[in-house]
Amino acid sequence: MSDAPDTHGATAARYFIDESGLRALTAELLAAGTEVVAPVATDVCQSPSAIASSACLLPGVAPVDIDYKLLGDAAELDLSRGLPQLSLKQFFLPEHEALCRWHQRGIVTTIEEVPTSFAPRLVLAAKPCDAAALAVVDQVMNWDYQDELWNGRREATTVFNLACPVIDDSCFCTAVASAPDDTKGADGLLTPVEGGYLVEATTDKGRAFVEGHKARFTSVDGAPAAESRERQAADERAAARVRVAANLEIDPASVRDWIDTHFEDPLLATLAVRCNGCGACTSVCPTCHCFDIVDEEEGVGHGTRRRCWDTCQASTFTLHASGHNPRDDQHVRYRQRINHKYSIYPLKFGEVLCTGCGRCTRVCHAGQDIVEILAAIDVAARHPEPVDSGAEAVKP
Amino acid sequence: MTDDTLTGGAKAAADGEFQPRITAFVCNWCTYTGADLAGTSRLHMASNVRIIRLPCTGRIDPLFVIKAFERGADGVIVSGCHPADCHYTSGNYHARRRFTVFHDFMAFLGVDPRRVTFSWVSASEGAKWREVVDEAVANVRACGPFDEYRALAPDVAGTIAGASAAAALEEVS
Amino acid sequence: MNELREIAGKLLADGDVRVIIGWEHARRGARPVFITQPDEADKLIFDRRCVHNLATYLNPRRDQVSELGKIGLVIKGCDAKAVAGLLREAQMDRTDVVLIGVKCGGVLEENELPEALALTPDNVAPRCYGCDNREPTLVDFLVGESQPEPPRPIMTIDERVAALEGQPLEERWAFWTEQFSKCVRCYACRQVCPLCVCERCVVDKTQPQWIEASSHPRGNFSWNVTRAIHLAGRCVDCGECERFCPVGIPLTLVNRKLQHIVGERFGYKVSDDPESPAPIGDYRLDDQQEFIK
Repeated sequence: MSDAPDTHGATAARYFIDESGLRALTAELLAAGTEVVAPVATDVCQSPSAIASSACLLPGVAPVDIDYKLLGDAAELDLSRGLPQLSLKQFFLPEHEALCRWHQRGIVTTIEEVPTSFAPRLVLAAKPCDAAALAVVDQVMNWDYQDELWNGRREATTVFNLACPVIDDSCFCTAVASAPDDTKGADGLLTPVEGGYLVEATTDKGRAFVEGHKARFTSVDGAPAAESRERQAADERAAARVRVAANLEIDPASVRDWIDTHFEDPLLATLAVRCNGCGACTSVCPTCHCFDIVDEEEGVGHGTRRRCWDTCQASTFTLHASGHNPRDDQHVRYRQRINHKYSIYPLKFGEVLCTGCGRCTRVCHAGQDIVEILAAIDVAARHPEPVDSGAEAVKP
Repeated sequence: MTDDTLTGGAKAAADGEFQPRITAFVCNWCTYTGADLAGTSRLHMASNVRIIRLPCTGRIDPLFVIKAFERGADGVIVSGCHPADCHYTSGNYHARRRFTVFHDFMAFLGVDPRRVTFSWVSASEGAKWREVVDEAVANVRACGPFDEYRALAPDVAGTIAGASAAAALEEVS
Repeated sequence: MNELREIAGKLLADGDVRVIIGWEHARRGARPVFITQPDEADKLIFDRRCVHNLATYLNPRRDQVSELGKIGLVIKGCDAKAVAGLLREAQMDRTDVVLIGVKCGGVLEENELPEALALTPDNVAPRCYGCDNREPTLVDFLVGESQPEPPRPIMTIDERVAALEGQPLEERWAFWTEQFSKCVRCYACRQVCPLCVCERCVVDKTQPQWIEASSHPRGNFSWNVTRAIHLAGRCVDCGECERFCPVGIPLTLVNRKLQHIVGERFGYKVSDDPESPAPIGDYRLDDQQEFIK
């Protein structure tokens, strides 16, 4: 993203809405039957999970889980700008979904296909890294096969981001061609300002949405009072970009090329020595999209073909029917993950398969740190050293 | 045959009560033979049980019971040779420990212990098999259909597969 | 800590081990480290953020580690019980590893911190309370100062298990099916568990597919129940499965219940003595069977 304060062009229509207006708009959408996905904060202690967490007995602030959920009520909408635990991926590529169902009676087999068009849906207050991931994955979902289920959901969904203040020092969106106020993959952006939100629609779909609910929004184009709000928004977004850029700066092109030409490099082999292959990183990642397809027989003569999330970190991910497994050890599987995200995907589609949300680092309890890994590769790429054939193959 | 002679499951069926579907995992050498004896002795008993024969209770994996519930069983019977009588010497001793863990653990998870019946029935205990079956059917009937298990995969309902699953259930019961 | 570093450095310098697996300080707190040179021994730390059960790296399927040669492993008491489990099940030889035990007073529940905090009832890992192995005996070296007992957490794991057991059946069912519905089938619980070392896990078997692969509640129930039962009598209560779970399923409650079962029913107590027989695989002629008709 550029460093200019206004990254969305002079033609982006700008509006203002206050928080109660936003909730009222949400309520109106829900009442009309539109699905609204938004971050929801759940007080862990009010749920049946309370008994699961001794933290609920601590004095002070109760622990809160933030998740993207289908809203049941506008009051659930959480605008605190925390990071939901799982990304938006589950609303476009569900954890498991039926592809078709079969029923066999005698010699007659019936196949029931699943619908590929979906009811209109709004995602509100999305994290820019999560929305950008949708655009990145769009490419592979329309490569050699047009994925009707992914595309159907993308077409049916309008996404409005909420500008991000940067979560912590594991974020690195600016290092991978995104930003805390990115609108890639989204249809508009809300920026918190005094009294409410500056709203910009950045695609036709976003503009159509705002037009369709004009009464809720106040146009700010040309209005003098709005100028200070716009400046405030621009300043806040620029400051966020600076904050996150301090976490990691790399040259993605040289990282891409270094990985491509150093497949056997000991550095790549040692990056994953503490990895357990649990796949938690792939499940929380907004851009990871690998899935398995399974036929689940659910009774005599009938069942469902489903696809479900898979992980390249699983030991059986590349297990062949012959019994041979080309990726038979964890460091090989981890190298593949880095290779796919930062080299193979960019070489093929021109974009890194990562938007810098940092969830993989935060969820890894074995201490794998993608910021550290990318920084190390970037250093290696910028300062090539002659390979010493006598060196130990494995160094921590 | 008059109504007075109907007993157990036959009576229940005539009365229009819920008919639980029960899967029984039994060992070949004792319980299966005992059940056969019950049959050849023309003992009347509830007809809700489908028997799956195994070489020994030592072969029984908790996954068998889970699979039975997944596929529509409302209750399960697990039965084998009495301790000290196992055809393979110690299979049922190993099984006994696994049964203990499974029984106590499933109750902790909220599965009604009346749904899973464990027994030792020898080859000569046809009458005992009848008692085990009738008691298991009565217990599972009291628990009701295990709908809450089948509700664990909600996308089955309302589809061809869901409708046929329901139809299949009705056919068999 | 100096004692630990000296022993580690010497083991490497003398060639007694080819790699030391311990903990180091990193950007997000303490984490496992693999050192192969004596001068790297200064990286080693041990403090209350050192939660990880390093015995998981002894898994025979980790070729990258086993190919290095003999391992020097830094272990707490709970970790030592896991090593004992592997020895008990003949997954490794005692001569494959040099064990450097550390005297432990408990660890933090939230360990991803820049500095170790003093333990309080608020921040201590609940599983540490009542630990009977704070100075492990299955060791070649034992380092550190004797530590005080960990503080009692606000609610112990046993109390939470008891609270669940006090609830009616339907509420327990609702609780556990809700918890297992969160599962995304990443298998982090299995991957990090030091005792989960099967070359081919039953959940990965496709001929037939015993446990459904999809993450719907029915498949998840089957997976979580199977995982737990396959660890009955083998789990050492290190809590790593729960710590790694990305969706927060309270696996320590499941594991503790299973320990109660094997304790009450078979008189079994988890220890770091590899000679004590595991309860599943062993049996007694007079085992309890009051629930069997």
